Amino acid sequence: MIVHAASGDTWGIPGPTFLRLYLVATAVVVALAVLHRVRLATDGGHASADPLGPQQVAYLNGGPALAVHAALGGLRGSGAIGVRPDRRLTTVGPAPTGLTPLDGAIHWAAHQHSRVRDLDQNDRVVTALAQLRTGLEERGLLVSPERRATARRWARLLAALLVLGVVRLFAGLTNGRPVGYLLLTLVGVLVAVLLLWRVPQTSRAGRAMLRDLRKRNNHLAPASSPAYATYGAAGAAMGVALYGTASLWAIDPGFAEQAEIQRQAIASSGWSSGSGSSGSGSSCGGGSSCGGGSSCGGGGGCGGGGCGG
Amino acid sequence: MTAPSGVGIGWRPEIAGFVAELPGLRFVEVVAESVPATGPLPPGLAQLRERGVTVVPHGVRLSLGGAEPVDQARVAHLAAVAQRLDAPLVSEHIAFVRAGGLEAGHLLPLPRNAEAVDAVCANVARAQAELPVPIALEPIAALFDWPDDELDEADFLTEILDRTGALLLLDIANVHANARNRGEDPLALLDRLPLDRIGYVHVAGGAEHGGFYHDTHTDPVPPEVLELVRRLCARQRPPALLLERDGGYPPAAELRAELDALAAAAGFPAVT
Repeated sequence: MIVHAASGDTWGIPGPTFLRLYLVATAVVVALAVLHRVRLATDGGHASADPLGPQQVAYLNGGPALAVHAALGGLRGSGAIGVRPDRRLTTVGPAPTGLTPLDGAIHWAAHQHSRVRDLDQNDRVVTALAQLRTGLEERGLLVSPERRATARRWARLLAALLVLGVVRLFAGLTNGRPVGYLLLTLVGVLVAVLLLWRVPQTSRAGRAMLRDLRKRNNHLAPASSPAYATYGAAGAAMGVALYGTASLWAIDPGFAEQAEIQRQAIASSGWSSGSGSSGSGSSCGGGSSCGGGSSCGGGGGCGGGGCGG
Repeated sequence: MTAPSGVGIGWRPEIAGFVAELPGLRFVEVVAESVPATGPLPPGLAQLRERGVTVVPHGVRLSLGGAEPVDQARVAHLAAVAQRLDAPLVSEHIAFVRAGGLEAGHLLPLPRNAEAVDAVCANVARAQAELPVPIALEPIAALFDWPDDELDEADFLTEILDRTGALLLLDIANVHANARNRGEDPLALLDRLPLDRIGYVHVAGGAEHGGFYHDTHTDPVPPEVLELVRRLCARQRPPALLLERDGGYPPAAELRAELDALAAAAGFPAVT
């Protein structure tokens, strides 16, 4: 059947024809976007058998700020740093051996009596954090900004289609043409754009890694009141990495308060003896990951077309 | 279920990660009241059970020494926990923690007389009727003695064990504490206790304050207690020794050294 353009058609294209073409175009773009997302999720850099260090875990879980706090937890746990009454850091004795670059940078900054809140502007700390980030990106646990931008390309095209549809909608309305189906379609496209726009910094492999780490280290959950003296500096750093600065407060409340560290709990997937309840372990970490309603939790990942959220 | 053997450690959530890493561990004890009767087990405990480590529930709130009958709900909980942990036995104290509706919050010693023996035996019998496994009874450390004591410690314990058929959970640090605080010889007590009835032995740390030895469970095991372990094992080695640490947790290396010292004193293989 050939639909002839009538003089009353918006832009000279009959409504049903436009709708059909529009649906095909958006479906193709959504399909390509999802395909791209799935490839992004599976093509995740080179996997490594090396276990992650606490600072890498912290970066993955809560970004650069938490990595700094995890390093502070480790350094404090080994007694290498302290805080002065003027709330500036200080070192206690010589630097311990086996420090990571971030440890070294923070230890140096503490030696210079930096404040905790100024650490993220310290050159050596910034360099060490960038190294951490690159390492995690190379392992496919974090998604680099370039890859995130690439992943958004299809979402951008879909957004352009959405704009086109909205323009058509208003043109149709002013022409007095029926627009009900177009409106319904546009709602669907809007939802797809919103879902595809979210590209979490943490890859699926990264989220799985965090889930596994929380499970294996749930003795460090604040609910267990971990004996940090027994677990040592590495345990202290991992506690902060997985459970946030609330762990730093538990390790050394005097230090945390004096150094003006914000108390923040990240995930409470631990077991608490009082209630006997148990966290699912699938809770989302940090502010960075876990977009939409689509991912984060469950073993099978997300369903439907909203994958990669 | 395997009977406790070798050197064990009291499982506490605070040191669950440390306990999980002990390669030779065959036996732990857990405070029974901290284990839910239903729902998920504390994850660390579940993993130990999967490894085949024996987990003994240790009650602290049953108040077997109370004048009133033991609370059936508490016994039922202990029984349920024993069942789900597949425990070979459970343990409780010869003490009371509440009287006349008041909770003491502490394990309090009983006067050592015939009425107390009757009360304890009646309560142990009530508990035994509900429990799926044997119970081991632990005498407590006492900073004071009641004025109307008729029996000495050994007679009191032997009488209770004979009448109930229960096992003995001997706390060697308590033996040291009681002897030290009463000015008695701990070996004299060891010589008169039914050592063949021991299910396992508690070893804990303590500290001297104001001329008294306090069984703190938060300090290192003193050399005198380790020596007492040696003397006990020379008489009759118990099947298992358990290190109790309830706070003031030291660095892992120190805790491992304590477990090693305990194993060496008893001639058990090291669990670290």
